[in-house]
Amino acid sequence: MTIALEIKDLHVEVSDKKILKGLSLNIEHGEMAAIMGPNGAGKSTLASVLAGKEGYNVISGSVKYLGNNLLDMPTDERAAAGVFLAFQYPVEIPGVATSTFVRTALNAQRRHRGEVELDAIEFLKLARAKAKELEMSEDFFKREVNVGFSGGEKKRAEVFQMSMLSPILAILDETDSGLDIDALKIVAEGVNKLRNDKLCGIVITHYQRLLEYLKPDTVHILADGKIVKTGDKSLALVLEEKGYQGIIEAS
Amino acid sequence: MTNISDIKNRYSESYNSMLPTLPGLELDWMKILRDDAIKQFHQDGFPDKSVEEWNVNSFKGLMDIFYNTQQENSYEIDISLIEKKDPDCLVRVIFNNGKIINIEHDELPEGVKVNSLNFFIKNNPDFLKGKIKPANEYSESRLSNIIDSRPQSIVALNAAFHEDGAIVNIDKNIEVPGYIELMHIGDYTDNTMKHIRSVIFLDKGSKCEVIENIQSHKNNNMVFTSHVADIHLCEGATLSYNRFISGNSNNIHINNVHAQLDKNSKFISNSLINSEGQARNEVRVNLLGQGSSSNINVLMMGAKKSMHETLTKVKHATKNTKSEQIIRTILDERSRGSFQGKIRVDEGADGTLAEMSGKSLLLSNDARINSKPELEILADDVKCSHGVTVGTLSKEQLFYLQSRGIPENEARKLLINSFSNTIINNISKILIKRAKNFILGEFNEND
Repeated sequence: MTIALEIKDLHVEVSDKKILKGLSLNIEHGEMAAIMGPNGAGKSTLASVLAGKEGYNVISGSVKYLGNNLLDMPTDERAAAGVFLAFQYPVEIPGVATSTFVRTALNAQRRHRGEVELDAIEFLKLARAKAKELEMSEDFFKREVNVGFSGGEKKRAEVFQMSMLSPILAILDETDSGLDIDALKIVAEGVNKLRNDKLCGIVITHYQRLLEYLKPDTVHILADGKIVKTGDKSLALVLEEKGYQGIIEAS
Repeated sequence: MTNISDIKNRYSESYNSMLPTLPGLELDWMKILRDDAIKQFHQDGFPDKSVEEWNVNSFKGLMDIFYNTQQENSYEIDISLIEKKDPDCLVRVIFNNGKIINIEHDELPEGVKVNSLNFFIKNNPDFLKGKIKPANEYSESRLSNIIDSRPQSIVALNAAFHEDGAIVNIDKNIEVPGYIELMHIGDYTDNTMKHIRSVIFLDKGSKCEVIENIQSHKNNNMVFTSHVADIHLCEGATLSYNRFISGNSNNIHINNVHAQLDKNSKFISNSLINSEGQARNEVRVNLLGQGSSSNINVLMMGAKKSMHETLTKVKHATKNTKSEQIIRTILDERSRGSFQGKIRVDEGADGTLAEMSGKSLLLSNDARINSKPELEILADDVKCSHGVTVGTLSKEQLFYLQSRGIPENEARKLLINSFSNTIINNISKILIKRAKNFILGEFNEND
């Protein structure tokens, strides 16, 4: 397997507060990596930095993605290069239909990659097929982006976008938060359907439950700004039993 | 700097010298209306910041420049050079420099009369009588019962000086196919003012769609134009009245609509304004008949040093009437905007349903908006709501769009469009093509 993402000794500040303090992590193509950790450890900061959100100040370290310096790329270019962040709290955009939004995004990415844009009919055909795969109703194409969506609908819409944009690096930021067991299962199954030997995933979560469905290849414990322990999916079970404190102390 | 009272005197002088050329002098009531109006204007002058309705921004160059009132068309205009009439447009009236130069239409359906003010003065003066009202009848009555004519001094100036106008008269139960367009173009060689007075009358049960398309003047001189339209909707009539107002940095345009609604009639007023100069849009609606309703939708888009103002007054004068107002303002660079919106519910007008929403989007730190919603409710059983907000583009929304691969400028456009679409989506399908100047991107396709 080849490495898709290589994070080396990453230090990041947010409003003058150090959040990531020397985080290193390698992820290979086809790998699903879970990142777990207590509140305030820096999990969401890592997701935001990878997606290119403003206000995250990288002090030192490097992030190589498909051989390129990811931190030099603007957010939209990262997306065109295959980076996808499934938001913990997907943003509502009143006045923009979901299908308009996804088509604008898909075509912007295609344009950036020098590919031909999809016309309305081609797009609809693709969107219908993807929605069907994810067992989603087409009604939501016309609905305004995330407006009035339930927690479960919002997360499914994120998975739908991910499916339409077929990323290479997918970061799922607490995709399980706010979901009941049934919704969680549906979302996890949706993600599983998108897995292939090229896609690598970073699954940020607090709970072992999501991992039961997603079956990660590796589990990393993030505490106080760096990875303190790495293991396979049995690590999540140990964590469930001992709690973060137990693992952090032992490491 | 010219003295303001000198200028007022000069307008009175130019009124006297121009009077013989003004239309309608053969009608006693029209002559009196004009004379009284210039007297009223001379007394009140241009409204300054001491007048409540005008206290937000000062119009630059309105009261301290003398505008030539007798500027004739500087040269012949070649009508063939004007864009062709849209096939969905039933009648197009072209005004050049404040005067009608062409009325185009195929055979008009029976009961549809569209012509110039001058034509009606000659051929059907009785129709106009009472529809063009004396200037003092437009005065504001304050809660304190004081009658104040000053806010309407532009209407007085218009009543004195108007040289032309469009008259639309639709007979009973006629549904006008397509739409009627009043198109305004101009090109002046001096600082000039022009006043247009129009009347739209829809008899019982008729239905009509009108667009007033005010295009930017070409000149480098200051041009001040005022349009006053009196609208009367009889029982069960429906009018969609659309104004698309553009302008260059030397244009001052003041647009007044007074609509009076009888029983079960419906008035839809859509205004799209994107002047680079100064534009003011006033819509006053009197809901006089039970079951009447009005929708006022306004989109103001300002950039550079432009100034846009909208003033609305919706008066619920009887039981069971309904009104909705949606105002959206987008301001960039150093532009200024103001929205003053009033809902008035008269004593006894129970069952009133009134809503007002004013939202503004500021795209630059140097843009300024002033929003003032007002409710005057003198009845008990009413449901009224109003809300105004001012905000900037949301960073969270921008990041979300960018994280999906949409470049920043495209993401901004998408968000700005989503904001303006609230208004644009109210424009009927056959008219939307005339609004192309007001649509920023290509996000309005029906997906």
